[in-house]
Amino acid sequence: MRMINFAKRNFKELIRDPLSLVFEIVLPLFLLFIFQQFDIPAENYRLENFTPSIILFGFSFITLFTATLIAKDRTSSLLIRLGTSPMKSSDYILGYILSLLPIVLIQNVLFFITAIAMGLEFTISIIPTILISMIISIFFISLGILIGSLVSEKGTGGLGSIIVQLVCFTSGMYFPKEVMGGVFEIICKSLPFEACLTIIQGTLHNDFSNLTLLHIIVFLIYFITVIFLSIITFKKKMISDNK
Amino acid sequence: MYSIETKKLTKKFKDKIAVNEIDLNIKQGELFALLGVNGAGKTTTIKMLSGLILPTSGEIIIENMNMKKDIFKIKEILNVSPQETAIAPNLTVKENLEFMAGVYQIKDKEKKIDELIKQFKLDEVLNKKAKTLSGGWQRKVSIAISLINDPKILFLDEPTLGLDVIARKELWKVINSLKGKITIILTTHYMEEAESLSDRIGIMANGKLIDIGTSQELIKKTKAKNFEDAFVSIATGGEL
Repeated sequence: MRMINFAKRNFKELIRDPLSLVFEIVLPLFLLFIFQQFDIPAENYRLENFTPSIILFGFSFITLFTATLIAKDRTSSLLIRLGTSPMKSSDYILGYILSLLPIVLIQNVLFFITAIAMGLEFTISIIPTILISMIISIFFISLGILIGSLVSEKGTGGLGSIIVQLVCFTSGMYFPKEVMGGVFEIICKSLPFEACLTIIQGTLHNDFSNLTLLHIIVFLIYFITVIFLSIITFKKKMISDNK
Repeated sequence: MYSIETKKLTKKFKDKIAVNEIDLNIKQGELFALLGVNGAGKTTTIKMLSGLILPTSGEIIIENMNMKKDIFKIKEILNVSPQETAIAPNLTVKENLEFMAGVYQIKDKEKKIDELIKQFKLDEVLNKKAKTLSGGWQRKVSIAISLINDPKILFLDEPTLGLDVIARKELWKVINSLKGKITIILTTHYMEEAESLSDRIGIMANGKLIDIGTSQELIKKTKAKNFEDAFVSIATGGEL
């Protein structure tokens, strides 16, 4: 299978970049650890709420490093070589997605091990939470493919950082959207990150009372649109880059 | 039988005509050099012939298959060594070979990889990451990779660009060893490279194939002292 072969190569490229591992795994783990040391009296920082937040935070770096890998690949002659091979567009896109999923799994397992070590109750719902997170991560990987197809390697740093900030401030990770109210609340509702966090938290708590129909609709619209756009843009860029 | 045939092959980018109605016939096993000044249309021609970009008009027949209809079958039997070194930087040389063997779904990949390691004497760099190799080694590995699928047609786009004399001569030796076995299309800015390696030479200018022949034929035709002068005379329309 060409896509698995390509995924293996991408996985090796990613794990051999120490900076990406630091941001994707070490930094979120550090945040998880450090915020639990302050005993902040807010619901958001309780371990059962903050662990899903950290999962989402880790995903924002997955977007950043996927974008960097693709932008880097686009500028190298390797994609020219691959463009003359029998690989199809689906092999590329699925190859990129498949290579990131093991990293997402490693992230999730390490985050939960750390959270349990710090006092999170071990429940069977951790397993579906990891599975749901992996599905949600496909949105973040696709977003990375889209950004990496659109901008240069330098540009991915800037756009990737915006995604990281949006995840931090609009997901409800640090504070509920109601605190700011008004336009900020509307922005939070319009972006997919709050929906992602609510889905992950709901799965972990086995309680979906906070999950609204709007959350599901917003998430699905972004999920489908970003996947579709990433495929179209990558295909178009593959051709235009080679002109 | 021709390995590559083109009929009125044309590529336009907006208003600019990069390649203009090229008719080309390259025999099986022939080493054909495509020469021209920068912007002449060589790389665009190679990109069309290798299936990387589609022509605006005209036809490409590769080993009796039409590029429009059989692009994926054609891609199975050709390979390219691009102008810049095309290898995965964080993978070792061995992993690069394995990766490309996977891309072409090579059945007996270990045997093929061993064969290439011997042919290109890659033992000493086999476990080194590609990005740590010198330019010469990277180019050598890049060309070795391009033979992973035993291509019937190989495109070498300026294979010795930026290499020192020894590395260049080594690569010439390798290219010479492939002559007659596979069809090779070579682009280069080094006249002595084209003269020494190729069976026939095509000269492009402003997107057109303006002359074609062996180096001796082209020298004779232009009454030049050497091939470099012949090339300059043809490429400039006799102005220089």
